[in-house]
Amino acid sequence: MYLNYLANIARYIPELILVALMAGLLILETTYREDEKNKKYIFIGGLIGLVVALASLVANFSGKSETIFSQSMIIDPFSTLMKIIMVLGTIGVFYLSRISKDIYESLKTEFIVMAVGILIGGMILASANNMLMIYIGVETLSILSYVMASFKKNDERSSEAGLKYALYGGLSAGIMLFGMSHIFGVLGTIQFSGMAVNLLKLNQAQMLILMPSFILFFVGIGYKIAAVPFHMWSPDVYEGSPTPVTAFFAIVPKIAGISALARIGFIFFTAATPMRASWILLLMAVASLTMTVGNVTAIGQKSVKRMLAYSSISHAGIMLCGLVVINDIGVRAITFYGITYLFMTLVAFYIVSIVQDKYGNDHFDRFTGLAYRYPFMAVVMTIVMFSLTGLPPLAGFVAKFNIINALLNSHFYTLAIILALNSVVSAYYYLKIVRLMTLKQQESNEVIEGFGFLNQFIIIVMTAPILVLGVFWENIMMLANGAKIFFQ
Amino acid sequence: MINLGSYLIISFALFICGILVMVARKNIIAILLGIELILNASALNFVAYTKFMNNNLDGHIMSLFIIVTAAAEAAVGLGIVIRFFQLRESIHIDDAATLQN
Repeated sequence: MYLNYLANIARYIPELILVALMAGLLILETTYREDEKNKKYIFIGGLIGLVVALASLVANFSGKSETIFSQSMIIDPFSTLMKIIMVLGTIGVFYLSRISKDIYESLKTEFIVMAVGILIGGMILASANNMLMIYIGVETLSILSYVMASFKKNDERSSEAGLKYALYGGLSAGIMLFGMSHIFGVLGTIQFSGMAVNLLKLNQAQMLILMPSFILFFVGIGYKIAAVPFHMWSPDVYEGSPTPVTAFFAIVPKIAGISALARIGFIFFTAATPMRASWILLLMAVASLTMTVGNVTAIGQKSVKRMLAYSSISHAGIMLCGLVVINDIGVRAITFYGITYLFMTLVAFYIVSIVQDKYGNDHFDRFTGLAYRYPFMAVVMTIVMFSLTGLPPLAGFVAKFNIINALLNSHFYTLAIILALNSVVSAYYYLKIVRLMTLKQQESNEVIEGFGFLNQFIIIVMTAPILVLGVFWENIMMLANGAKIFFQ
Repeated sequence: MINLGSYLIISFALFICGILVMVARKNIIAILLGIELILNASALNFVAYTKFMNNNLDGHIMSLFIIVTAAAEAAVGLGIVIRFFQLRESIHIDDAATLQN
């Protein structure tokens, strides 16, 4: 028994590294004086820790799937790949937080500590195999996110964003728990493996009674990925928080929530029961609403950051589409989508953040004539916007194509049509930036300091995967194909 | 006679009260109290189901964790409310509306 526990730790090294990293960084941070400007060792230490965790995740990837810690966690290629995406996103956001002027200089180290904490929460959520772990993962993600959203202490908007996040988040976590408690009461255990077995013993009427509890359960995770009836917090929080925080929120909690939802779908709803039908109906409604509302609201926005917030809502909707088909093709499409979404979001937020640092706001007008001053950056932004729209031959196209392919394979024609129509709508606001950058004359010749050589280089390096994945996507597909969800 | 049904009714009432408090009250501290009501409703559910239906410790463990995280959440929530109060000199939820549009 105890030896089993020790043996399990070997599969849990990435998370343990991150926990140790967070504690170490906290201690290291206290050694600095309050007014000390350059706390670069925390940044370097954080990066090294993340890279080590990434390496051990990659080493974990090919290992066999198993449950660890008395079946409370599950380590399978799917969760490992999702964790790799989250760690990569965090690395990208670390550098952005370093160069951004949106976070107070004295708080940058705290940002790094808290980002590692949120990452741990996301990783727990990605490999959770019982109710308790889902709850702890969601709360670890949320509680630190509340603090992060109100990071600009003296800014009214930021503290308001944190307040809204905390209130909505507390409500949705409570609703999720209430749903969980009834599911637990009927199914008799909090272990997913045991619950799935007990679920099949129920008769049809009992299953229908249990369904509302699952809807309540869905609220909690739907809130984390900003699915539509629960998305009200998202634009406000994205706009109010500092830009690196927004970039972080757009990546890590979404990927974590999506992977948890994928696992829940696989564990409870693979068998053909009335519950499966109603779960699919629920997901279909939420997915199509999320895509449509996100896209339609994004059209009218003046702030690029708010536009990106709405667009990330609609991308969460597209990933939800991949969850509607509860099979391996859908999971493969989601993992591929996650990888491309990571790079597209990072690059878009890097450029928006740098432009915003220069001008103090991020209205669309700030991008006029960027092509004449920084041609490389304009090209990169154009590539990202095309890819977000889903134009070939970029990675975004392949990702969307995979999702549509998964939908068509399982005969969800309506949803596929809604997805395609939404891509057309999204083209309007994505291409608006491209039009402003290229076709309009520039307002001034000001130099944007953020676009130094190093930053431009890093942004271009991050754009490369979007181009490469658009053409050579088979290799990543093979990788994603191996990332099957494992359940007992 | 106190049976499972009584506990479920009480916890459901608590849940509804929590939701009502969150919707109706304008004071942010009161809204945080509403969150506590909702969390306690589910903690009560877990304990009641364990006592009457299931012969394992899962529900007790869950409710212990709920109590701990509720405390953490209240601490963070109050911290944010205090900061909001220092900036706005108000804890009225209607004053938190600068971000819309």
